[in-house]
Amino acid sequence: MDDFSLNAPDMDLQDQASTSVDVIQTLDLTKRYGMRAKKSVLAVDRISFAVKQGQVFGFLGPNGSGKTTTIGMLVGIIMPTGGSFRLFGNSDSRGLTAARARVGATLETPNFYPYMSGRDNLRIVAAIKGVNRSRIKECLALVGLSRRAKHRFKTYSQGMKQRLALAAAMLNDPELIVLDEPSNGLDPQGIREIREIIHTLAERGKTIFLSSHLLVEVERTCSHVAIIRDGRIIKWGPVAEMVGEGNAVLLRSEDIDVLLGAMEAYPDATSVRKTEDGIVVALDSGDLANVTRYLSGQGIYLSLLVPHRPSLEEVFIDVTRDAMDPKTGLAS
Amino acid sequence: MKTLIMLLRIEWLKAAKRRIFWLAIGAFGLFTAIRAVIGIRLALTIPDAVYTLPEIWPDILRDVAGFGPLFTAILMILLFAPEFSWRTARQNIIDGLSKEQFFTGKIMLLAGLVLLFMAVAVLIGISSTMFSPDESGSIIFRPSDLSYMGGIALGLLVYGSFGLMLSTHLRSSGSALGILFLYIIVEGIIPLLTLRMESRILRDALEFLPLKVVSNLGNNLAYYPAELVDMNPMRPELDLVRLGGSDIGIYVIVALAYIMVLLGLSLLNLRKRDL
Repeated sequence: MDDFSLNAPDMDLQDQASTSVDVIQTLDLTKRYGMRAKKSVLAVDRISFAVKQGQVFGFLGPNGSGKTTTIGMLVGIIMPTGGSFRLFGNSDSRGLTAARARVGATLETPNFYPYMSGRDNLRIVAAIKGVNRSRIKECLALVGLSRRAKHRFKTYSQGMKQRLALAAAMLNDPELIVLDEPSNGLDPQGIREIREIIHTLAERGKTIFLSSHLLVEVERTCSHVAIIRDGRIIKWGPVAEMVGEGNAVLLRSEDIDVLLGAMEAYPDATSVRKTEDGIVVALDSGDLANVTRYLSGQGIYLSLLVPHRPSLEEVFIDVTRDAMDPKTGLAS
Repeated sequence: MKTLIMLLRIEWLKAAKRRIFWLAIGAFGLFTAIRAVIGIRLALTIPDAVYTLPEIWPDILRDVAGFGPLFTAILMILLFAPEFSWRTARQNIIDGLSKEQFFTGKIMLLAGLVLLFMAVAVLIGISSTMFSPDESGSIIFRPSDLSYMGGIALGLLVYGSFGLMLSTHLRSSGSALGILFLYIIVEGIIPLLTLRMESRILRDALEFLPLKVVSNLGNNLAYYPAELVDMNPMRPELDLVRLGGSDIGIYVIVALAYIMVLLGLSLLNLRKRDL
């Protein structure tokens, strides 16, 4: 697990380039909006991470944390104000334009010409990507839009728009697929279909860079994740490691509220949370004997004490807690 | 070359599917046709009036020079500016176009619009002579007609570049159209404000304001000196000053400079700003 020291891993981009399996590589990538120091906003603050070939990489963060800005810089629509990045080992302007031909991407909402049909929109994308028109039919079929292909984009439901965006991203059979919130507006069936498509693409060896709020989906789909908050990457690594780390335990006793109060006062507890099943306590040391001793000293006897494997959602909430609205519990 | 063909194809697909594109071409054709109908009717009713090739061009093209530039600017704005609100400009870049290629596509769209407008005018002009009572000669265009067409095309390009620049900077068709009309009004007022000023340099300089340059380029008297000679004898009788021929060469250079500046500003803006 890598907890990033943002001021700079001694990572030299030139050296890193030798590991040709890095599809995306950022080094101290920074974006500041606005020129005046007082009014400027630091949207992305010296972030460094790498995505290797074949990874399904989840990029998570609360709203306004810098996810879309980071993706925008990678796909060429936002100019970085500092740092650098490589796509397929390319970092210069011409190389990046060529590298982007190997990328399929959607950013935020699906962006298409509203007065044109889904098929005509894909004709434009196909022309840009230099793809044979026969691929249009294939991709429309893959996302289940063949029957509505001749209808205008503006008549599509949100789910259909998302699927068309996915079809456009896959048109050139790209090596890297960047998806920003692909499940937005989809019903459960649609979300499942998108997940299946992503799985299929991953099985074909595609590298996928996925930004999503649906953490259950990310946990099911992604092999690696990075969590970004306030423009900084605060945690990244394989999903399996991220959800498996730490010394969390699930506790239950007769009076949950008394247990909660006691554990909040426990010096070794780094976080205490009430759940439907009991109290989840993250411990510094993992010394369970100490916990039982401490609680029995308080006159509290446990009916349950089991190791707790946090979900990605719990990890996410834990590391982004400072960015949450204390009243609503929602990402600010 | 392959890239240029690809860009042309994309711009054609985008434009040809829009109703406003065909409405604008249709309206332009209609206005031009009205001028031709007036010419034919005159030829039918007035014995001295002729409606034959190549004599029709000063009349047909005069109207094209009058409303054509504004048409081009408006259509350019309506076709280009929504690319920002629909976020299709950013998607084109995400899909693989460089910002320079995207911009080149827009210049090709502008050039295409100018060619299309000129082609519509020429086609209507030529076909309208079939309804004329007079027989046309063997010449379709005189050198002066071709020069006039070149001057008008340049005027359309200046306005179109202005529309392109406004679209790139304002990224909204409503704002861009608003500023376009505001500028037309402002440039129209400036000469009125300077009427009492005695500085000849200032008055001469006003001739080189962008819209005035286009107006001068579209002045048919500059291309048909014989008409200028014909008109001048009548003017003193009407208490009007004699008309002087203008040096089209200078206006051509200034118009080209305006086009370069407007397109340069647009490209600079597109390069520097995030999409």
